[in-house]
Amino acid sequence: MSEEVVCVDFWANGFGMRVRIALREKGVQFELKEEDLRAKERSALVLEMSPVLRQIPILIHHGKPVLGSINIVEYIDEVWKEGPALLPADPLDRAHARLWAHYIDKMLFSTQTKFLKSKGEAKEKSKAELIESLKQLEQVLGDGNYFGGDEFNFLDIMLIPFSSMFSGYEEHGSFQIGVECPKLMAWVKRCRERESVARTLPDDGEMYQLHKAWYGIE
Amino acid sequence: MGETLKLFGWKVSPYSHRAEVALRLKGVKYEFIHEDLANKSDMLIRYNPILKKIPVLLHGDTPIVESQVIVEYIDEVFDGHPILPKDPYKRAEARFWARFIDEKVRPQVWMSCWTDGETQKSFIAQVKESLAILQGRLEGKKFFGGDSIGLIDIMACSLALWFGVMQEVVGLNLLNEDDYPELCQWGEEYRNAEAVKECLPERELIVGFFAPRKDRIFAKKAPVYD
Repeated sequence: MSEEVVCVDFWANGFGMRVRIALREKGVQFELKEEDLRAKERSALVLEMSPVLRQIPILIHHGKPVLGSINIVEYIDEVWKEGPALLPADPLDRAHARLWAHYIDKMLFSTQTKFLKSKGEAKEKSKAELIESLKQLEQVLGDGNYFGGDEFNFLDIMLIPFSSMFSGYEEHGSFQIGVECPKLMAWVKRCRERESVARTLPDDGEMYQLHKAWYGIE
Repeated sequence: MGETLKLFGWKVSPYSHRAEVALRLKGVKYEFIHEDLANKSDMLIRYNPILKKIPVLLHGDTPIVESQVIVEYIDEVFDGHPILPKDPYKRAEARFWARFIDEKVRPQVWMSCWTDGETQKSFIAQVKESLAILQGRLEGKKFFGGDSIGLIDIMACSLALWFGVMQEVVGLNLLNEDDYPELCQWGEEYRNAEAVKECLPERELIVGFFAPRKDRIFAKKAPVYD
């Protein structure tokens, strides 16, 4: 193979879904190596390619590792110029996209984890924070079809994997995201029609079942 | 681009410093607007309504927030000293280390200073591991970026000054020349670099922030501004 591209990932890893969607958007052929995150130890491959953090996803290109989902998507965009541009052209738009990607990782991800892990009053509090974060992101979406405006791009890729947990959040918190954030749900539906997303996102039910087992949710 | 550049910042903050040093490396003119974090200005809240934090770079009328986002923006818009490498693989590496420093090392360093007992011991062990990893990353170079300051150096700026000051205030001595000679050497090179010297706060200014608030910061495990 002239361009060896390997993605080390776990089927239910939202951060890894970003990478797989980005590769598929660009039409890049890649080999997927499954790493089971339920195992106590990471595989020899992960320990070799990601010695400091021992995390996935890992993109291995020409035998060299690229780490961190946001970094990997930027790398994919910079290396494979033939497919659609994943990051916006204008530096201000790029700064905007990077800021909200950072917000998703810092605020949304930690809030959703807290929400899934907690019970009682703490759960109600983090449920409110989760809805607030989603509403904030819905505001960023505005009236566009995508976070990229008319084009599906970077920020859409950053957020869409979380949608595979939306029905899980709803069941866990007895609420409906469609009621709280109708525009966001319309965006989810639109994104799921894209081949790259449809091929990558796992079954919602399976995602929630896995997380239930992981976090000890009854 | 004839648009004005304004930086809302606070001299004591390493995040604010990151944005300033990037501007100085590029040699671009900007107006520094000092923010009193105990009393945030209307302008700051207007330009960063969600996070309400400094630094905020205002380019014309458009705000850019988050220190790493600001540094990357400055690198993309202005010619001159390259902050990120051109090669995509090296760029990805630089961004990885920048995130490692910001998301792993910085909180470990902070908590090692503001906890005690077994909790502190655990954070101290983590800091020692991280400092060793970072020192290894230097690979005998002058800067993480090679011969000149790059993204990783800018994001690691706390280790060049702020950590040393906090250590002194709380009575720790983790980052020292005996244990981390190359990292301390890097710190010295960083502090003495021209663009850095122009916008590095005086040690006394940082001491003046931490020392009188020591007990309150310890209680809150977070900065206290008033």
